[in-house]
Amino acid sequence: MLLKMEKITKRFPGVLALDNVDFDLREGEIHALVGENGAGKSTLIKILGGVHQPDGGRIILNGQEVHFSSPVDSQKAGISVIHQELNLAENLSVAHNIFLGREKGSWWNIDHKRMRKEAEEILKRLSFNLNPSAVVRELNVSEKQLVAIAKALTLNARIIVMDEPTATITEHEVERLFSIMKDLKKNGVSIIFISHRLDEIFSVADRVTVLRDGKKVASGLVEDFTKDELVRLMVGRSITDMYPKYNVPKDEVIFEVEGLEVPGFVKDVTFNVKRGEIFGVAGLVGCGKSELALGLFGAVKSYFKKMKLFDAEVKEIKNPMDALKLGIVMIPEDRKKMGLILDLDIVKNIATANSNLVAKLVNISWRKAKSLSNEAIKKFSIKASSIKQLTKNLSGGNQQKVVLAKYLFREPRLVILVEPTRGIDVGAKVEVYHLINDLANRGTGVIFISSELPEIVSLCDRVLVMHRGRQITILEGNEITQENILRAATGVEVA
Amino acid sequence: MKRFFEWMRRYPAFVGFIGIVVVFSLLSDRFFTISNFLNVLRQVSIQAIIAFGMTIVIISGGIDLSVGSVFAISAAVLASILKTGNIFLAILAGIAVGGAFGLFNGFVIAKGKIQPFIVTLATMAIARSFTLVYMQGMPITGFSRTFRFIGRGSIGGIPVPVLIMFGMFLLTWYILSKTKLGLYAYSIGGNEEATRLSGVNVDMYKMMIYTLSGTFSAVSAIVLTARLNSAQPIFGQNYELDAIAAVVLGGASLSGGKGTVVGTLFGALIMGIINNGLNLLNVSPFYQQAVKGAVILAAVLLERE
Ligand SMILES: Nc1ncnc2c1ncn2[C@@H]1O[C@H](COP(=O)(O)OP(=O)(O)OP(=O)(O)O)[C@@H](O)[C@H]1O
Ligand SMILES: [Mg+2]
Repeated sequence: MLLKMEKITKRFPGVLALDNVDFDLREGEIHALVGENGAGKSTLIKILGGVHQPDGGRIILNGQEVHFSSPVDSQKAGISVIHQELNLAENLSVAHNIFLGREKGSWWNIDHKRMRKEAEEILKRLSFNLNPSAVVRELNVSEKQLVAIAKALTLNARIIVMDEPTATITEHEVERLFSIMKDLKKNGVSIIFISHRLDEIFSVADRVTVLRDGKKVASGLVEDFTKDELVRLMVGRSITDMYPKYNVPKDEVIFEVEGLEVPGFVKDVTFNVKRGEIFGVAGLVGCGKSELALGLFGAVKSYFKKMKLFDAEVKEIKNPMDALKLGIVMIPEDRKKMGLILDLDIVKNIATANSNLVAKLVNISWRKAKSLSNEAIKKFSIKASSIKQLTKNLSGGNQQKVVLAKYLFREPRLVILVEPTRGIDVGAKVEVYHLINDLANRGTGVIFISSELPEIVSLCDRVLVMHRGRQITILEGNEITQENILRAATGVEVA
Repeated sequence: MKRFFEWMRRYPAFVGFIGIVVVFSLLSDRFFTISNFLNVLRQVSIQAIIAFGMTIVIISGGIDLSVGSVFAISAAVLASILKTGNIFLAILAGIAVGGAFGLFNGFVIAKGKIQPFIVTLATMAIARSFTLVYMQGMPITGFSRTFRFIGRGSIGGIPVPVLIMFGMFLLTWYILSKTKLGLYAYSIGGNEEATRLSGVNVDMYKMMIYTLSGTFSAVSAIVLTARLNSAQPIFGQNYELDAIAAVVLGGASLSGGKGTVVGTLFGALIMGIINNGLNLLNVSPFYQQAVKGAVILAAVLLERE
């Protein structure tokens, strides 16, 4: 056994995040770690990575007990971690990030050119479409995730830990990542892999361990489990319908945009959304689908020839305030950068986005804000020690739920959801799908942007596929299949 | 006991305050007296009022280096109008000038998208220069008894400046904890982008925040002018540093999103007590700056997470 974590216990104020958890890892295996949001997966990983110190238990690496008091210790021991909250130097380039701490050249003369070139080779080998000179701050979450993966893979570690590496990237990159993982495995590298997508677990992992409420509830070979069993172990009940769909599309067009352009990202996109319909937008990382959302919401500069929302002509949307006044709401994809104010608690995050509900003029009614927050916690089953918990201390999936909650208190007329299920567990996903159906049936226009093809295919009535900022096609009915979407997304015309 | 320690960690400025009071009480028998405390409070009031405004600015992720110069120009305008008689008009004008400079800062920062450090550094120079020109480099002195009461009088044994300081303290506390402006100051400082995407008029609130800071400087200037019975063109030099020190000692983070006005009050008190205590102990002023600097460093080190 390469690594053994025994009886690991970790307490945070108000929660027991890990309760006597055992975990082990063999040489050359891929071991998946699954569980609901807040189950303790990231916490376990952070203990292995030296970010947190356990309150109890021990870590045995190669038969020797080790103590990691900082991430450096863990890295020195041959463990490389891709954390769920990416830790990149935002102001540096992709290449500099990949080689951070291991710069080429000497300390008095860093060889920038060589680093750029080697980074380019690495990215090419991984077939990640990234410019090594691009500054990380300018990248979107998916691209940042690719940088973090590239960085972790080049550390030559014996153990690579990946905390939800696939949450933000598309099918295409996921496949690349999996084939790299399998290669690494052949070379004796061990991998701990966390994901909420069970298909991925079955296609890449050898063993799986299930956590629930901080306890280990099962562990074994992947073959020995069925998907349903895993779901039941994770959430404590079976889920019969993973993709509920009961929205009723009508003919009435409630939103239309013609010739939408977001300079540098989106060109000449035209579509409409009908009452009761779930309108999907799909495409690879960097195809401009996120920018399309930002443009419609006024968060980045955008132009359009014509826009109509219900019966009213929309002249322009200059900023998010304009959009919100019209009843257009966007659930942003990057919860850390755009969704949450991490240093503030749940109540304050919700109050900031809903001042129309919690403040008449100047004064805020904290009582109202608290009751909204409690409502949100219930409705979205957010796992938090209290509504006063700082959002930075919530698990990734629970952060995502707070983002959803904070925007949906306004009764919107058009909702643009960008990767709304990113990082949330199976149970919560189903809840979000219900929510989307309900929104559509209530007469709200729904634009659903996602990189996760199964949910696009199962939920959407029509799907706009983008490639390099352009609209390739709008698929409808039977045409909506993963193959067709992928083909269009890679720029191949579909009939 | 455990809760006590947690509480101590949360309010390090208060702990530092108690610590310093104990130290000076042991070192000097003239320190721990009511009259000396009132003395300290009166001295601190000038800096503290500015620091309250600065607290809101720093929480919002900004900084206001112009407070000292805005202080001076407010005092100048106030004093010149006082000379023609109407106290009420003079005070109003002084406050208006402070607010106007603050608004100018806020406008350039929000609309011009320029870093607050640079903008307020420029305003610091401009306002100082205006003051010198306006006063022709000469002090304006000699005001009515009524006006001097603001700086020298007391009500029920408590000096008026101290009462004004507490008034401003309560106002700031109210703004930060009960109003949209306060909530948005925290939100903008924590994550400006997310705040904007939440539909908050970030630009407008930034302008309001800097306007408040300018206004607070002006209020402080009124108190000092009344106390000294004079306005000087060199008023307010280095006040920005004292204010920032008080805010940071109070636990705010210069990167924004964190801080409380209670912390700032104790931060300002710590600075004031060090001054007062060292004077009572007859420590040479040459050393006093070093002691202050050391205290700031120590406090900030202790407050690290
Ligand atoms: N720094 C912290 N302070 C307080 N509580 C924390 C902290 N970090 C995590 N927690 C709590 O510990 C629990 C486990 O969180 P963890 O991040 O390990 O969940 P997870 O299994 O990774 O979930 P997800 O799938 O959503 O990423 C959660 O209830 C979370 O709120
Ligand atoms: Mg996690």
